[in-house]
Amino acid sequence: MTGGFTGTGLVKRYRRDAETVLALAGADLAVAAGEFVALVGPSGSGKSTLLALLCGWETADAGRLAYRGWPADRRPDTLGWPELALVPQALGLVADLSLLDNVLLPARLRGTAAAERERASALLADFGLDHLADRYPHQASLGEQQRAEVARALLLRPGVLLADEPTAHQDRGSADRLLDAVTGAARDGAAVLVATHDEIAWARADRVLSMRDGRITEGPPR
Amino acid sequence: MSELTRLRRSGTTAGSGGRRAALWRLAPWTRAPLLGLRQPAAVVAVVVTTAVLACALASAPLFLSSARSAALQQQLAPQCAEAGWQTTGGSLSGLTGRTPQQVAADADALRRGWAAQGRESRRVLLVDRALGASGNQQSGMLVRSPSGEAVSQPATMLWRPDVTRRVEVLDSTPGPGVWLPASYAAAADAAVGEEIMLSGVPVPVTGIYTDLFETDPGAYWCDWDDLFLNRASSDVPPPALALATDEATFHRVAVGAGFLTVVEQVPTDAASLTAARTRELLAEEHRALTAATAAPPPTWTGGGVDDRLAAALAGGQRIASGLRGPVVPVAVAGALLAVVLVAAAGSFWADRRAAEVRLLAARGVGPVPLAGKAALELGVPALAGAALGWAASRLLIAALGPADDLDPSATTAAGWAGVAAFVVGLGAAAVVAGLRARSTAERPLGHGPHWPARVPWELALLGAAVWCWVLLQDRDAVVSEGGVAQVNGLLVAFPLLATAGAAVLLGRLLTALLPRLRRWAGRRSPAVFLAVNRLAAARPATATLLVAVTLPVAVLGYTATLTASSQATLDAKVGVQIGATRAVTSVSRFAPTPAIAAVGTYVVRYVGSAATEGRRTDVQVLAVDPDTFAGTAFWDDSFADEPLADLVAALDGPAVDGRVPVVAAGLPAGDPDLRLGRLPVPAEVVAQARVLPGDRSAGPVVLVAADRLPDVQRTAGAAPVAEIWTNGPAGPAIDALVDAGGRVSRQIEPGLVQTNANFLGITWTFGYLSALAVFVGVIAVGGLLLYLEARTRSRVSGYVMARRLGLARTAHLRSLVAELAGVAVPGLVLGSVLAAAAVALVYRRLDVDLLRPPTPLLDLPWAAVASSAVVVLAVATLAALYAQRAADRADPATVLRQDA
Repeated sequence: MTGGFTGTGLVKRYRRDAETVLALAGADLAVAAGEFVALVGPSGSGKSTLLALLCGWETADAGRLAYRGWPADRRPDTLGWPELALVPQALGLVADLSLLDNVLLPARLRGTAAAERERASALLADFGLDHLADRYPHQASLGEQQRAEVARALLLRPGVLLADEPTAHQDRGSADRLLDAVTGAARDGAAVLVATHDEIAWARADRVLSMRDGRITEGPPR
Repeated sequence: MSELTRLRRSGTTAGSGGRRAALWRLAPWTRAPLLGLRQPAAVVAVVVTTAVLACALASAPLFLSSARSAALQQQLAPQCAEAGWQTTGGSLSGLTGRTPQQVAADADALRRGWAAQGRESRRVLLVDRALGASGNQQSGMLVRSPSGEAVSQPATMLWRPDVTRRVEVLDSTPGPGVWLPASYAAAADAAVGEEIMLSGVPVPVTGIYTDLFETDPGAYWCDWDDLFLNRASSDVPPPALALATDEATFHRVAVGAGFLTVVEQVPTDAASLTAARTRELLAEEHRALTAATAAPPPTWTGGGVDDRLAAALAGGQRIASGLRGPVVPVAVAGALLAVVLVAAAGSFWADRRAAEVRLLAARGVGPVPLAGKAALELGVPALAGAALGWAASRLLIAALGPADDLDPSATTAAGWAGVAAFVVGLGAAAVVAGLRARSTAERPLGHGPHWPARVPWELALLGAAVWCWVLLQDRDAVVSEGGVAQVNGLLVAFPLLATAGAAVLLGRLLTALLPRLRRWAGRRSPAVFLAVNRLAAARPATATLLVAVTLPVAVLGYTATLTASSQATLDAKVGVQIGATRAVTSVSRFAPTPAIAAVGTYVVRYVGSAATEGRRTDVQVLAVDPDTFAGTAFWDDSFADEPLADLVAALDGPAVDGRVPVVAAGLPAGDPDLRLGRLPVPAEVVAQARVLPGDRSAGPVVLVAADRLPDVQRTAGAAPVAEIWTNGPAGPAIDALVDAGGRVSRQIEPGLVQTNANFLGITWTFGYLSALAVFVGVIAVGGLLLYLEARTRSRVSGYVMARRLGLARTAHLRSLVAELAGVAVPGLVLGSVLAAAAVALVYRRLDVDLLRPPTPLLDLPWAAVASSAVVVLAVATLAALYAQRAADRADPATVLRQDA
C-alpha cells in the first residue's frame, strides 16, 4: 500500500423535506500517505458530508474518489479498520461495552484482541483514560469518550485516518495529546484528514484545506 | 449569495420555523399535549400501557357482574320459563253464596296490583279443591256424569289464556263450557254437547282432548305438569284436569266449589336477566302484591309471590361472592403489573425527550415540574389509553365472559376503574419520567443506582405469600356455601404473590452474576461477547425483562395446571361416581349378554356391609364382569399402585380358605366379614385401591366377580340394581338392556353432575386466572417492545459503528438472538420451576368437591407448556429480527452526526 487518497469533483446533494441541499459542489482534495491535513470551514460547509463520503457512508452524486494502492472499483465502505479508521462527529462508542472493550473491539472482531490488549491499554494511558478502562461510555465525560474514540481509531495503525472534530470536547492539554497522537499516526505513514475548528490543530497540520459552500480551497480560510 | 445559502433560506425551513414559533406561543398547558404528539413511539407506549392498566382494572367488576348474570341465568335455564317470571298468587275461599261477577271482581285484586305498577299481567285460574258433602275441603271437585252418577275420580279445573289451543283436540264444539281429558270423558261417559255437574254446577262439555300425560305437552304446560302427571307413581292418580273455556264459566264453577286460586304472571326473558334487573323485578313483584292486598276482598285468604326467581338470584349472588375472593386479588395483581408497565412507558418518554429534559434539569428544573411536564404531554395519550382499555374490557367480557348481560352498576364501576387507570397510570408515568429525567441529569458520572433500586422489595411479596399460606392452613381451600363451591381467595393470592416475589428475587440474583459472565464471554465469539455485554450493561432492564418472561410463564403454567387438574379431578369424580362415561340402570333383573359386552360392561350393585374396626360399615358391592370391566370402567393411575386390569385379574384368582377374592377400596386386606344385605358372603380382600369406579356414596367399595357370588335373593335386602356402564352413546346401551329383558329405570349422565351450576364458581375462577396469564403475557410482550425501543438509539449507533469496525451483519443478528434468548430461556426455565413449585404446594388442597372421591389429581397441560415455550421463543426471535431490521435501516451518516 502506498497510501493516501484523492477526491476529484465530488458532488453531493440531499433532500430535506421539499428543499434540496447541495452539500458538496465539486470538491477536490488530495491527502498523501504520511500527511496530516486539517479541513476547516464554518458549520454546515460540508465537512462532515465529505468525511462520510470518504469513509463510504455516503455515495457521491458525481466526481471520483481514489485510494492509492487499492483497486479503483473498491468501495470505501468495504475497507477494513486497519485500512481506513474513523472518528465520527457523534459518539460512536458501543454503549454496552467498557471503554477498554470499545478500544479493543476492532481487534476482537479480527480475533486479535489478546495481541492488541497491551497497545489498547497503552493508548488509554496515553490519553489519561487508564483509570476509566472498565467504565461504560455513559459513565465517562464527552471528552473522555472522544479520546477513547481516537484510541480505537489508532489501535490497528490505520492507513487512512479520518476524524471529525476530534478535539471539540477537549481541554487544551488533552487536545494537544490527541493532536500528538494524530501527528504520530501521520509520521507512521497514515494519510490523516481532520475536520476541525481548532486553530491550534491548523497549526499542527502539514496542510490546511478550507471548505465553504461545498467547495475546497487550499490554505486556511480568509 | 451561494447556492447552498439560497437553498437553505428557501424551502420548508422558514415554514417549519413558523409552525414551531406558533407552537411556542401557546400556553404551556395547551402546548404540552401537542409537544407530546411529536414523540409517536412514546405516545403509543403510553396509550397501550394505560389501556392494559384500564383493562385490568375495569374487567374485574365487569367479570363479576357477567358471572352473576350467567349464574342467575344458568340456574333458571333448566327450570320452566315461569320460574323467571314475576308472579303473584292468592287464594279465595268462602265463595259459596257469592255471584260469579263478585268472584270475578275478587279475583281481579292481583291484576289491579300489577296495573298499579303499570304492568299487564297474565292470569291463571285454578280450582283444585272444593267443599265436600260434609262441608270439609277435599282435593278436587266432585263430578257427576251426564246421567247424574258421581264419578269416582275428582277433577280440577284450570283456565289460562289459550288453554284449549294448547291441547290435542279430539272433539269440540263452540261455546262456553269445559274440556275434559279423553280418559276422564270415557270414565264419566260424557260426550261433547252433554252436561256434567262440577261441584254441583251444571256445565256443558264443549271439548274432549288427549290426556296430557300421553303427549309431549310442550313448554306451555311445563309449570303445571303436577296437575296431570302421576309423579309419585301412586295408586291414586291426581284429579282429572278439566279446562274452562272462559273466565265466566270458571267463576260460575268456582262459586260451587267454594275455592279458587288465582295467579298473575308477568313474563320476563330469563336468558338475559341481570342481578340488578332481577332485584328490580322482585321489588316490583312485592309492590304489586302489597298493592293488591292493601284492601283485600272479603273472600281473600292469603297470597304471596313465587320464590324461584329470588332463589336463583340468591344462588347467583353466592357464586359471584365466591368468585370475588379469587378475582379481586388477581385483578389487583394484574393492575400492579400494568402500573409497572405504564411506569416503564414514562421512563421511555424521558428517554425520548432526553435532550430537552436534560437541558431543563441542568437549568434547575426539579423533578416535580418535570413530572408535571410529562403529565401534560402524556395526558391525552393516557386518557385515550384508559378509554381504549375500558372499551377493550367491555369487548373482552362480551366475547369471552360468562354472559354479556351486565348490571348498570358494573358498567359504572368499570367506568370509574377507567378513570382510576387514567389517574394512576398518568401519575405513575409522570413520576417515573420526572425522577428518571432528574436522576439522569444530576447523577455524577460513574455513580451507581440509587438506594431504592438496591432494596429487595420483592421480599415483601414473599412475606405476604407466607402470610397467606399461614392463614390458609386454618381454612378450607375450597368451601361450599349453600351448595355452591367457592375457591378461597388465599389459594389464588398465595401462589401469585410467591411466584411474583420469587421471580423478582431470582431475577435480581441471576443478573447479579452477569458481570462475571462478561469475562467468560470475552473468550467467545463476537456474537456471544456482544450479547452478554449488552445484558450485563443494562442489568435492571435485563432483570425486568427476565421477570417479564418468568412471571407469565409461571402464572400460565400454574393456572393451566390447576385448570387442567381441577377439570381432570371433576371429570374423575364424575367418572368414579358413574363408573364410566355413562350408565343405565334397572331395578328389574336381567342377565349379561354379548350385546352388553359389546357396548360396555355389566355390573350389579348391592348394598352390603363389612366389619371394620369393630363395627359394621356400609359397603357398595359391585359384582362385575372381569372380562369387560377393566376396559370400560373409569380409571386413573393414581387410584391404585397397580393397573385396574391387574386388580380385576385378581378377582379370578383362587379362593382363600374358601373365601371369594375381592378387591376393595376403603377396607383393609383380609376377611372383611362381608354381607350383602343380610346374606353373609365369605370374602377375602386380595388387592386394594385408594379409589374404585362406581363409588356413589364416598364409602368403601368392593369389587367381586359376578359369577363367583352366590345367588342373592331379593329377601336378603341387598337392593340389587343391574347396570350397564358404557363409554359410548346411551342408545345402544339402552337397547342392550331392554333386549336383555331389563327395564330402564334411570340413565346417569355426566351432565347431571358436571353442568351443575354449583361448580360454575370453580370453572370461572380458573377461566379468569387463565385470562390473567394471557394478560401477563401481553404485558411481557409490551415490556419487550418497550425494552427494544428504549435501547434502539444506542443499539443502532453502536451497530453502525461496529459494522464499520468489522462486525458482520449475521454476527450482529446472532448477538441479538443470543441476547433475547439469554433472557427468554432462563425465563422459561425459572417460570416453569416456579409454576411447578406453586402447583406442588397447592393442588392437593384444591378439592372441588370434598364429598366425592377421588382426591385432587395432577394433570400437566403439556400442550399449554409447550405452547408458551414456543410463543416465548418466537417472540424473542421476532423481536431480534425487528431490532436487526431497525439497525439495518439506519443511515450511518445521520446516526453518527453530532446529536443536537
